[in-house]
Amino acid sequence: MRLELDAVSKRYGSATALDSVSLSVDDGEFFTLVGPSGCGKTTTLRCIAGFESPTEGTVRFDGESMAGVAPESRGVGVVFQNYALFPHLSVGENVAYGLRFTDPPGGGSRDERVAELLDLVDLAGFEDRDPDSLSGGQQQRVALARALAPGPDLLLLDEPMSALDARLRDRLRRQVKRIQSELGVTTVYVTHDQSEALAVSDRVAVLNRGRVEQVGQPRELYHRPRTRFVAEFLGENNVLDAVVESRPETGGIRVGVGDAVFTLAEGRRVLGRAGAVSDERAENDAKDGDRPARPAPGDELTFCVRPEQLRVGAGTNRIRGTVVDTEFQGATTRVRLDWGGTELVVAVEDGGEEAAAEFEVGTTLEVGFAPASAHIVE
Amino acid sequence: MSSASVRRAARALEQRLLTLVAALTAVVLLVLFYYPVATVFADAVLADGRVTIEPIAAVLTSEFYLVDIIWFTAKQAFYSTLASLALGLPAAWLFSRFEFRGRETLRSLTILPFVMPSIMVAIGFVATFGRNGTLNRALSAVGLPPVELLFTLEAIIVAHAFYNAPLVARVVTAAWESVDARTVETARSLGANPRRAFRDVVLPQLLPSIGVGATLTFIFTFASFPIVLALGGFQLATIEVFVYSRVRDLAYAEAASLAVVETAVSITLTAVYLRYEASQRSAGGAANPLPRQSVLPDDWTPKSTLRTVGIAGYTLVVGLVFVVPIASMVLASVTGGDGGFTLANYAFLAERQATGASFQVKPLPAILNSLAFAAGTLVVAVPMGVTMAVLTTRRYRGRGLIDVLSMAPFAVSGIVVGLGLLRGLVFGVDVLGTRIRVTGALAIVAAHAVGAYPFVTRNVAPLFARLDGRLVESARSLGATRTRALVDIELPLVWTGVVAGAAFAVAISIGEFDSTIILAEGAGSYTMPVAVERFLGRRLGPATAMGCLLLLVTSASFLVVDRFGGRWGEL
Repeated sequence: MRLELDAVSKRYGSATALDSVSLSVDDGEFFTLVGPSGCGKTTTLRCIAGFESPTEGTVRFDGESMAGVAPESRGVGVVFQNYALFPHLSVGENVAYGLRFTDPPGGGSRDERVAELLDLVDLAGFEDRDPDSLSGGQQQRVALARALAPGPDLLLLDEPMSALDARLRDRLRRQVKRIQSELGVTTVYVTHDQSEALAVSDRVAVLNRGRVEQVGQPRELYHRPRTRFVAEFLGENNVLDAVVESRPETGGIRVGVGDAVFTLAEGRRVLGRAGAVSDERAENDAKDGDRPARPAPGDELTFCVRPEQLRVGAGTNRIRGTVVDTEFQGATTRVRLDWGGTELVVAVEDGGEEAAAEFEVGTTLEVGFAPASAHIVE
Repeated sequence: MSSASVRRAARALEQRLLTLVAALTAVVLLVLFYYPVATVFADAVLADGRVTIEPIAAVLTSEFYLVDIIWFTAKQAFYSTLASLALGLPAAWLFSRFEFRGRETLRSLTILPFVMPSIMVAIGFVATFGRNGTLNRALSAVGLPPVELLFTLEAIIVAHAFYNAPLVARVVTAAWESVDARTVETARSLGANPRRAFRDVVLPQLLPSIGVGATLTFIFTFASFPIVLALGGFQLATIEVFVYSRVRDLAYAEAASLAVVETAVSITLTAVYLRYEASQRSAGGAANPLPRQSVLPDDWTPKSTLRTVGIAGYTLVVGLVFVVPIASMVLASVTGGDGGFTLANYAFLAERQATGASFQVKPLPAILNSLAFAAGTLVVAVPMGVTMAVLTTRRYRGRGLIDVLSMAPFAVSGIVVGLGLLRGLVFGVDVLGTRIRVTGALAIVAAHAVGAYPFVTRNVAPLFARLDGRLVESARSLGATRTRALVDIELPLVWTGVVAGAAFAVAISIGEFDSTIILAEGAGSYTMPVAVERFLGRRLGPATAMGCLLLLVTSASFLVVDRFGGRWGEL
């Protein structure tokens, strides 16, 4: 099923929870809404499910407006963070609840459908158990089975992993993703965890203060954030404010940050390009063309460099900073540099125990980045 | 009509179902409560169709009313509150800080006085402190002269403490158990000694609950009627008793004026209480409550010995106040005139005919009436209470007003409701040229329902409030309509509250005295409490037997409430 949100706004009194949100989710797509708490992602989900009605704008399922359609008539499966299992019903009865109102898809009996779903979430034989007797991860899988039992056209997942511990979350996330692609059900997933969003989604919408900041595939958002917010929200980033100094004949832009001068590549250098260019991306690029793409000397601009793009003793644009903090993270070490009052994060590949001395707090470190690894944001 | 349009119409009806039921409840409340109470107010301010302040002014300027009635009412309520605190606070300390056998049982028993008919408590006190009561028998057995404790202020105060000390204990225990031990440990680690830590950390967390207990006690005892009537008579009359005596003398305007004054005081106090309660809701038991100690100390230091003696003394007082009256009543009911065992009093209850012994009050019809009224009350109060519970837990504009209006029957005394129903519906109202009258029996059911439904609401509403809204949303996204989700999900999860509320409603109806005695037309619609009161002045035997029957019904209700009603810290 194709889901569209057309300029959906939701206001509570004078407070605006959603400000003209437009999105479209393709049939079978795993689409994620991500953003800090209070950004409107859950409100968006509730408008799709029909628990809230938009103050303005339209929600469409396969082109059909959902205005005035009750939640029970929308054919949407919902999984909540706290599972919301019916405590007075057994696991089997929970999963079977939606089948009270519709025939089991696939023509089998209700019991068969319940067994099939419990098998799908690796809980075969749990029919007679009490929801209270299950662990958090098991309860969440029951909630998923319950939502999927009536064969919904759309699956909504509202922070379904937040209450679980990290290891379990990773495993369950992969299971959800596998089930989703097996069934091919269109899925909208809400999370505040950016790494989760990048890991599972076909496409991601970053929301901030009730507005859509950017929509795109995970790699695209990571490497080509459109706004400062997206650049800082998804993964770690070094975001620097600069003033354009000149535009040399040889190409690129020379910018000044404090006393330092860097050369940035012009245009969009896409790193790790993946997948075909979707219509939407083409659209985005078309929009990009509208803004002043050729900054003139004296203009201010903001660019970002990922920690892993800052290389020790390499790169055309050099920065000398003092190590203020290091964090060993296994494959890499996060080194924080003080660079004339600006803090920079460098991800250094771990070079073994001997190499650690190089990054001791207080030592001076020279790092650099290639013009093409910097990305200019709005 | 096509099936689609039928379905559409059904949906439209369903969406308005709650509104419809709410409107119906509002109408019932209007007819059964607000209109009658308004009649009383009208009686007080209208004379010959003109507005006048004369009757109320007469009350407020009369020295007799101000000093003998209103001041006395406030005074006895104040002393009763002090006595209830004195008797209830040690219990809260024992319940929350000590471990002993039967602690949980005793603690749940504190709800029992709440469902006990006050007229029954009065019989217990008469059987204990009356001329031929347990106390005087014990005194004469050891050769001491008899004492007369009935018809004194002290008797009233002790009986009120019987009623309200458990309430104080209940509320304060809940607060004490929700004190986080870590707050005390923090204070101690910062340098406070145990006494200082109690004063600085524990006491501030208890004070709101003590305030709640004291305010409720004052409200209840200010409007106390059967206890004062039975133990004080007309010599020691509170406003309620005097209103009743005025009604008996058919002096309605005077009765109404007094009732208005009383209601004004009660409503003010209740409003204060509700505000207070709303700002001070304690959150159940603490994850980390204060540790409990054994009642008997491990080693006998002077301090621990003193404490143990204190606890023993307190236990003795509790026994005297709570156990002896009930035991005396049970004992008196099986004691004949010769002092031997007899079941004559119970045999008498089964008699159909009025006999000389009953002073024209037929006992069996009174029992049957009580049961019939209780059934009627259930039918009206349970749906009303559940609807109110739904309404008070939903969010919408003007909910605060609904909360107050629906809880108003808490603040208006049974006498006022009874008087209003009598003057309004029983005497008849003209509606569009037709005279509408209801019988006393119907009016009694109405009065009982009005008194009982807030208890249903208070039992059910917390369960509705605790329900996760996502349960209903999950059900709806799975295809259930709103009503279907209510039936499939919400009602099964709150039904224990409904059962407990129903048990409360039965107990309230069976024990209701204030409005029943005003509305009972002759002996035909007497209930058990009214019959008890009639017997009380003349012959103790039948009164105590009837009292034991009331005790039985009340205890059964209590068992149901205790089984299904949760902890009930707030009430």
